[in-house]
Amino acid sequence: MRLKAAFLVCLLAGLAITISAVAQEGHPLTGVWYGDYGTTAAQRSHLTIEMAWDGKAVTGIINPGPDSIPIKVATLDTSKWAFHLEADGKDEKGQAAHFVADGKLENVGSYNRTITGTWNYGTTKANFKLRRD
Amino acid sequence: MSHRVIVVCSAVVLALATVLVAPSFLKAQGQQGQRGQQGQQVQGQGVGQGLPNAQGGRGGGRGGRGNQPDVPSKPTPRWPDGHPRIGAPTPEERGIWGACCGSLSNATTPYQPWAKALYDYRRNNEFEPHTRCKPSGGARQFVTPYGTEIVELPDLQKIFIFDIGGPHTFRTIYMDGKPHPRDLVPSYYGDSRGHWEGDSLVVDNTGFNEGFWMDRAGSPHTEKLHYIEKFTRTDYNTLKYEVTVDDPGAYTGTWSNSFQMRWQAGPELFEYVCQDNNFAPVLLIGNESSIDRSSVIIP
Repeated sequence: MRLKAAFLVCLLAGLAITISAVAQEGHPLTGVWYGDYGTTAAQRSHLTIEMAWDGKAVTGIINPGPDSIPIKVATLDTSKWAFHLEADGKDEKGQAAHFVADGKLENVGSYNRTITGTWNYGTTKANFKLRRD
Repeated sequence: MSHRVIVVCSAVVLALATVLVAPSFLKAQGQQGQRGQQGQQVQGQGVGQGLPNAQGGRGGGRGGRGNQPDVPSKPTPRWPDGHPRIGAPTPEERGIWGACCGSLSNATTPYQPWAKALYDYRRNNEFEPHTRCKPSGGARQFVTPYGTEIVELPDLQKIFIFDIGGPHTFRTIYMDGKPHPRDLVPSYYGDSRGHWEGDSLVVDNTGFNEGFWMDRAGSPHTEKLHYIEKFTRTDYNTLKYEVTVDDPGAYTGTWSNSFQMRWQAGPELFEYVCQDNNFAPVLLIGNESSIDRSSVIIP
């Protein structure tokens, strides 16, 4: 029974990865973004953001999994390719935190486009790098 | 027990990756540029690119207009049941349709702001999947360097549209009257269902992925795209192509355009391998500063 469930989960995960790999030319924020954030080059935490465009707004989650954080606001100012994100979740210490990210979308026409910018929560001022994968 | 779970899980993911991802990876690995193809495309977009009723396909080579007669066209060829033949007029007569539809959109196209920005960006950064041998749905299918061949098989209730150049693949239009399947897996050509309205073949398309540009100019779309085509062979040499774009993900309203394709008597589908003779890295990466080839997913 457990094996069957694991098989199903893996099958769905594999299909999801494959299907998302094809979708690349629609809204520039759509897709799965991998990267990290931190206050210094040495102190980095992994960051995964999954975003989708529903025709009116960008939706998605940060770090999919048991501790995922739903995105509250995500916008793209296409006049400057400026990215803005807000979300409420928990920081590394488990404390409630309001995350605010501001960055610039670059290499817009590339499948592996990138976003870099600031990643702030509480009193922490960090930066982040994301690459669409 | 947990060891078995890990083994099964790994095997499933590996198998899926091999079957579904590896072919596109291997395919893209073989692509080293496409100057020949792209150069022909630019020619083949025709004098009236982007204009309603533009006449495309004046490019050179097999996609050119060299075979077009100056005399008045013969009447529209028809099947015994009276429907126009939109492919070869008879089994003995060969031919293809020259390219059309360089740009679907124009000044009145109701873009959403992000779609307009992306369109403008693409005009200066031609980072198009088609140049990397990816199939392209919608009107973009008709902008291949050597035109397209339409093959009608009434007995099978199917019509095939073959890209001759580019990805060298084909789209199936189902004529059996059945609706689109539920829960379509998004694909490059989507799902095409056709029927006749008088002398026009109307094709309803849905189920597109976002992996292509909808036209040569770079009009964006989303998976919400619903694309209605109308093919009317107005005479022997002319195929009128009308399109209505309905994509609430990228546009604020429905919009339309129309083009004409010219019959090229003589040529037919020939072997074309997109991966070969690919000499244009600039066209592969546009003027992007870099391209990361470490990923198994080829951009």
